[in-house]
Amino acid sequence: MKSIVQMKIGEEAVIKKIKAKEPVKSRLTAMGVAKGNRLKLLDYTLKKQTWEVDVEGTRVALRKEEAESILID
Amino acid sequence: MKKIKVALVGQPNVGKSSIINSITDAKLHVGNFAGVTVEKKEVLVKKGDYEIDIVDLPGIYSLNAYTPEEHVAKKYLLEEDYDLIINVVDANVLQRNLIFTMQLLDMNKKMILVVNMIDEVEKNGGKIDADKLSSLLGIPVILTSAKENRGVDEIIDKVIEVYNLPKPKRKIFYNEKIEEEIVKLSNILMKSPHFNDKEESRFFIIRLLEKDEDIYKIVHDLPIFLELHEELGESIKKLKLEFDEESVADIFTDERNSLAKSIVMQVMILPQKESLTDKIDKILIHPIFGLPIFLFFMWLLFQLTFQVGSIPMEYIDQTVTNFAQWLKMILPKGDLNSVITDGVIPAVGAIIMFLPNILILFLGINLLEQTGYMARAAFLLDGFLKKFGLQGKAFIPLVSGFGCTVPAYMAARTLKNPKDRLITMLVLGFMNCSARLPVYVLFIAAFFPAHNAGNVLFVIYISGAILGLVVAKILRIVLFKGEPEPFVMEMPPYRFPSVKALLMELWIKAKIFIKKAGTFIAGAAMIVWFLSSYPTDDSLKTEYIKKIEVAANEDEKKALRNELAAKELESSYLGMFGKAIEPIFSPLGFDWRLSVATISGLAAKEVIVSTLATLYAVGEADEHSTTLINKLRENIDFKTAIALIVIIMIYSPCIAAMSTFYAEVPQWAWRAFYTIYPNVLAWTLAFIVYRVLSLFGM
Repeated sequence: MKSIVQMKIGEEAVIKKIKAKEPVKSRLTAMGVAKGNRLKLLDYTLKKQTWEVDVEGTRVALRKEEAESILID
Repeated sequence: MKKIKVALVGQPNVGKSSIINSITDAKLHVGNFAGVTVEKKEVLVKKGDYEIDIVDLPGIYSLNAYTPEEHVAKKYLLEEDYDLIINVVDANVLQRNLIFTMQLLDMNKKMILVVNMIDEVEKNGGKIDADKLSSLLGIPVILTSAKENRGVDEIIDKVIEVYNLPKPKRKIFYNEKIEEEIVKLSNILMKSPHFNDKEESRFFIIRLLEKDEDIYKIVHDLPIFLELHEELGESIKKLKLEFDEESVADIFTDERNSLAKSIVMQVMILPQKESLTDKIDKILIHPIFGLPIFLFFMWLLFQLTFQVGSIPMEYIDQTVTNFAQWLKMILPKGDLNSVITDGVIPAVGAIIMFLPNILILFLGINLLEQTGYMARAAFLLDGFLKKFGLQGKAFIPLVSGFGCTVPAYMAARTLKNPKDRLITMLVLGFMNCSARLPVYVLFIAAFFPAHNAGNVLFVIYISGAILGLVVAKILRIVLFKGEPEPFVMEMPPYRFPSVKALLMELWIKAKIFIKKAGTFIAGAAMIVWFLSSYPTDDSLKTEYIKKIEVAANEDEKKALRNELAAKELESSYLGMFGKAIEPIFSPLGFDWRLSVATISGLAAKEVIVSTLATLYAVGEADEHSTTLINKLRENIDFKTAIALIVIIMIYSPCIAAMSTFYAEVPQWAWRAFYTIYPNVLAWTLAFIVYRVLSLFGM
């Protein structure tokens, strides 16, 4: 399994696992970043510190640390 | 007349406020939720025999509350008495919203589902089958578009209908194995006399399985807890093993997610993906152009706030002064007259003067927020601000701080994480507000060559900002050591803001500001006025009046009058206080005059200039007065002047700002810390600067 920081912009994948601890995990799942949902990497900032993904129609911004905790196939 | 109490609840950005604003013949009340500074909007609607009271709860993503707003919403849902829930969801992201809807359904209250923004879905060829959705969830469903005023008034009729019907039967069930454990555990809970509703105990068990601490606290004190606790542990272990998950909360998330997915599949024809947001984002969060565009917007916002805002400011100032003078004439002379016309009215005027600034800034922030741009700004800046223990959205309050600290503290409300918000508010004062400018101008004119004035001013502003960022970093490390700084934020699609909602927000903000800050600020300003006007020394006054009468010419009279003003201030409580604290400031080379001026700056920073003018007996003067500049050069040396500038940069902001901070932060410990630490820091740094300069023989 790799994390979404290894994806290319525009690439899509299905979320396999969220490694983040509570309460971040609940936060992520409440926004739709949950196991089994389709995720598309939309963008990241110049230094790859902040990431933007689309999960089932919701755009979510995350920091690198949180992005690394989202695992895909 | 029958009363129906309704809780309006939904995730952020679903358009709850615009629904509230679109209900016809509704009366809006705004207040605060008890004990917290979270805004509470309440709408009253009369229909037939019913009076319907709808409470708009803060946006909440899930019952696993995270932000203070979410805790308020959750607490209300769990503890308050209401007849039914209206759950508003965004049709565009129905699946995500339904996960929360299912958490609400667990509560088994009477409920109505309002699917808002249906126009956006249909415009792109999508469709939602409301009847089918209703039969799957077991609650009534209304499709609405607040923008097109569609379906909104139907909500009220539905509320009355549902209120009069018995509670519908549950339609949503989880996996058999989970339900089995739920039944087993809720049977134990039902043994307690506190629980006689099967559905209620089912909800409690689900929350306990999900390790909900708020529910845990409620059940913890019941005698049944011991037995329940053991069985609960067993069930959790069993379920985790069965489903191969780390926690039961994960299992529920998974269950709800799959249910939501299958429901959406059955009731919804998905719309064509609209690409407008993607297109706009290509420009606005462009890795290279994004930042300059953002900076331009900010520049525009602050230009408008402080340039346009200053136009009514002068007008208000003039009106208030005229009013006070008029009142002074018609009221009988005496202490009461003085209290009202020299104390209360100028103080209240000083508050209202801030209002144009605040309203423009808030209109701008609201606009950024409602269009969806605010989230993009936070996205762009988060990387930079993270280095200092702050987060992206902190930029708005921080930059507002250069204008005026009062609206800046209020702008910090956009930060939802309480720690981020607190740290931002604690360092906001280091962003030099515009009221400090006259003081800097005066001292730079007195102690620096004219051609360097601009550079010195720039250094003062930049070092304030850098100091703020560094202190933020230190606060984050020292006070919130080892705690994670999660940053997960929804980026809502770009939307045209609704004018009605914008104006409504503005009206509410204006009312709250005048009411709350007004009482704080007016009171505080009056105290300062009192301290500087009392006790009065009549013998001193008569002595000087005699002197003035016999004075040879106008110049001499003026000089005597100024001398009297200086002496009066010296003998006032404020003057006594200044003398009493002189020992504190003497290591920085301050005499009692500078000490008093520094203290008077707490009323408002501009006051430092006028106080110095009075104390050095030059009468009324502004920062460009050459007499005052010369007086300062005669009485103060260079290193003392620099120490004073350092103090003004760092020490507590004015009372107006401090009152706003107290109003926004309820915890006494933080209020105390906020009141003390900038002054300690200011003194320490000023002392270091003073010592270093004297080492160099300046």
